[in-house]
Amino acid sequence: MTTVTQFSFTDFVKSLLWLAFWILMIVTLIILPIIFIVLFYVPAPEIEGIEITPYLLLSMMVNPDIGVPLLKATMETTFFKVAVFPGFTFAALFATIIIFFERKFLAKMQLRVGPYHAGREVLWWARNFGGFFQMLADLLKLISKEIIIPSGADKPIFWAAPVVLTVVASGLVALIPVAPGWVVADIDVGLLAVFALLGFFPLTALLASWASNSKYPFIGGLRALHQMIAYEIPLILSVLGVVILSGSLNLSTMVEAQQNYWFILLLPIGAFVFFITALAELERVPFDLPEAESEIVAGWLTEYSGMAYGLIQLASYMKLYALAALFVTLFMGGWMGPEILRFGPPWEPDLMIRGHMVLTVEEGNAFFWFIVKTFGIAVLMLLPRGINPRIKIDILLRTGWAKLIAVAFINVFIALGLLYAGVIHPVGVVGT
Amino acid sequence: MIQLTLPSGIQVEPSEDGRILTLSVGPQHPGSGHFRLIVQVDGDIIVDADPDPGYVHRGEEKMCEYRNWIQNIPHLERPMIADSCGILYPFVLACEEIGSIKVPERAKYIRIIMAEINAMIFELYWLAIYGIFLGHSTMFMWPMGDRELLIDLAEMATGARVTHAYFVPGGVRNDLPDTFRDKAIRQLDYFKHRLDQYKDIFYTNPLFLDRTERVGVLTAQDAINLGVTGPVLRASGVEHDIRKIEPYDVYDELDFKVITMKTGDSYARAYVPYLEMYERINIIKQCLEKMPSGPVRTKLGPNPKGPVGEAFKRVEAGRGELAYYVVSDGTPKPYRIKLSVPSFRMIAAMPHLLKGAKLADMPAIYWSLNYWPVEADR
Amino acid sequence: MSSEGKQPEQSSQSKEAVAKVEIPPVEKGIVDKITTKFGGKAVLAYAKPRRIRFNIKPEDAIEFARFLNDEVGFDQPISVAGTDYPKDNVIEVIYHIGCCTVPEYRSMVFAFALKLPRDNPKTPTLIPVYRGVEYHERETFEMLGVIFEDHPKLQRLLLPEDWADIPPLRKDFNIKGR
Repeated sequence: MTTVTQFSFTDFVKSLLWLAFWILMIVTLIILPIIFIVLFYVPAPEIEGIEITPYLLLSMMVNPDIGVPLLKATMETTFFKVAVFPGFTFAALFATIIIFFERKFLAKMQLRVGPYHAGREVLWWARNFGGFFQMLADLLKLISKEIIIPSGADKPIFWAAPVVLTVVASGLVALIPVAPGWVVADIDVGLLAVFALLGFFPLTALLASWASNSKYPFIGGLRALHQMIAYEIPLILSVLGVVILSGSLNLSTMVEAQQNYWFILLLPIGAFVFFITALAELERVPFDLPEAESEIVAGWLTEYSGMAYGLIQLASYMKLYALAALFVTLFMGGWMGPEILRFGPPWEPDLMIRGHMVLTVEEGNAFFWFIVKTFGIAVLMLLPRGINPRIKIDILLRTGWAKLIAVAFINVFIALGLLYAGVIHPVGVVGT
Repeated sequence: MIQLTLPSGIQVEPSEDGRILTLSVGPQHPGSGHFRLIVQVDGDIIVDADPDPGYVHRGEEKMCEYRNWIQNIPHLERPMIADSCGILYPFVLACEEIGSIKVPERAKYIRIIMAEINAMIFELYWLAIYGIFLGHSTMFMWPMGDRELLIDLAEMATGARVTHAYFVPGGVRNDLPDTFRDKAIRQLDYFKHRLDQYKDIFYTNPLFLDRTERVGVLTAQDAINLGVTGPVLRASGVEHDIRKIEPYDVYDELDFKVITMKTGDSYARAYVPYLEMYERINIIKQCLEKMPSGPVRTKLGPNPKGPVGEAFKRVEAGRGELAYYVVSDGTPKPYRIKLSVPSFRMIAAMPHLLKGAKLADMPAIYWSLNYWPVEADR
Repeated sequence: MSSEGKQPEQSSQSKEAVAKVEIPPVEKGIVDKITTKFGGKAVLAYAKPRRIRFNIKPEDAIEFARFLNDEVGFDQPISVAGTDYPKDNVIEVIYHIGCCTVPEYRSMVFAFALKLPRDNPKTPTLIPVYRGVEYHERETFEMLGVIFEDHPKLQRLLLPEDWADIPPLRKDFNIKGR
């Protein structure tokens, strides 16, 4: 028998007043001072010689004469480049769109529909894109799931592995030049840095699998190790031709060296080898031995659930973006392309907001062509999943260690031949 | 002996010289079905393979002795639910022989149509699982999708998608609907068009060829002596198809080819069922044209029985030669029924083929033998 | 397919019945071949079109099987079945063999049966002749208790490991509840 407390009106009013009292106390004594301090006393970065506080920032946003140059200056800060474009947020968004596209694309190849229901009412006019919000739904689901750790797992490494993966993948993203001047880390040995970062991935896969302390991840980790190490050498060798022809290791210089002819026309074999080894580095079908579903459940990421799994998938697809972008940078002319975008009339083609320039037309075209080309190559990397079965490990190792290295060497000789025959000069211009 | 310290969860037992590991593939393995293979490996080479069926044993043969002929039909089709007409066919033939029951002509044609449809349903399912074994997701989706074409036909005829229970001693349970013929011809034409595309994407794919050519070669002599049957036998070069050798119902009036290949490797075992599907479509179309009208069932009494005797009848199901040995003691309940299923006969071929093969080839060899665990256990 | 003549009975006093029935010529050739080699040791049970059955003794099993495989030409083992006849106090193990190589015999199934005493059923294994009967014999062992001598691995195949009852296909084993 439950007891019901007697309702008393006086007690009710008393509790309301008590609540009001405490709210008033906290707001006046704590929250208001915090707001004031943040607004007026926290120094924002100095822009155009004026010391900015957040209050000034907020009030400037509604004044376009000050707001737009502010926006442009923000776009040039390192923080913006690292976090938003062309850094982490851009790469993550690109990865998400690629995941969605892969699911729909493969579904169409396999007589299915793919994600269909999520977001269908919102985008009722785009029947083929029903299910676009599936990615958002998946993200929310992964965030809200419990992360289960196996009992004998090595906890520090188990937790660290997905984070390290994402960090290294982001490092790869940071080296890719999107437009002239729009690169997070413009270092003179850019290509070497790329390979140094790529060398991390077999290690993290092995660590993740070992820390899981279970049979299937163990086998998957070993397979990942074998596969990635076998295919790193042809990867490096295949870009030697590009280095020879462009004369430097800086990725932006390599793009500029392709002004007249893209390197894919001069070094098709190298491009081909790079593509195949990139597929192997990404663990995509047909090279998905480390995650072979029918044999070893999910490979080295079997024991990861929830957001840890989400991070690993994010890292995987950011790697896909990075390697596709690298392919475009090295072989397909990066951001080069005919100027077809204009933001305004021909005598004033730059992107202007209220008379202030935000984006030049060259930059806009560079972004456009880069994104189009990278998306095209990424789609090409998704395609083998619908066509091919999985490769066997002995054929994998034989191909990686013997055949691809031989083909990559042939490519290097072609590049040397082109150089010494006087067809190409180290700056990449034909003839002069 | 080397002490191996491995992460927990791996079931390995090092032998005395420390080289041979015993692995247990299944029955909880994503790739083996309800079946366990105890494999002993030396590095990457399989030294010995010991099949361990029995995880789905339900005592079909014992259950048959408690039920009369009609009551036996629903549970006898359960061991091979994807090819339910095939596993019931020899049973009804044997009952008809024991009881001297005459089957109407139309029923014979209908039985052949349904048996061929079911054989194709099974072969597509088998091809789909082969895709999973090899990691080819499209090879899983396409056969499963095209299987719906045939399941639609089966549903039209019998009322159920998978568990038909359609054959009875004396004919079939009910007649085909009037629209069956047109719909069947339409679905089969479309299915044939789809089959032509299978060859380009699956059977000429270099990665598929890499994984299945020259893998698990079975010579004709070994195949006969081990007792294997069906497409596995025909892929080794032995032309042995019960429909041609010992025609039952009206197979002697139909015109079709028997497909054999000479190589006997996993690729041949995967290719023969595909080519046979064209022949099956041919058979169904001929039956649809030649079918006379008339009754479809000989009405039997409430408890049909036959004199004391025995019958041995065999039929070419989707996987091979299915035979029933029925002993009758004069009562409505059979005295003994022995099912000789093709999957059980394939178990003998497994250690023979797996010895000396690489561990990575094991899925290709194991599944190419047309093994269905539920049927083998009965 | 309807049977012709009388259905022969289970016990082997059917010689008179068999003599009254016409044996088709191809089957007659096989039957004659076997009776010339084995004489009284192999008893013909019936010889219908495409189905021949002989009853033999366990001691002659291997020799009979070898003769069948090498000389006559039946080389494909189809099944091995065991039946329990408590009334006659025998367990009958019947081997069905098919033919893949000789064209005239391909449609036929040859059966030979061994009658074993019910309290001590023992027979030599036929693996040296037909390799494919290995797992069939194992199943007959666990379902009926028949011991196949010299079998390389005579152990449980389909039944669960903790089966503690009598072999299930025997007639004195009843499914619970029936």
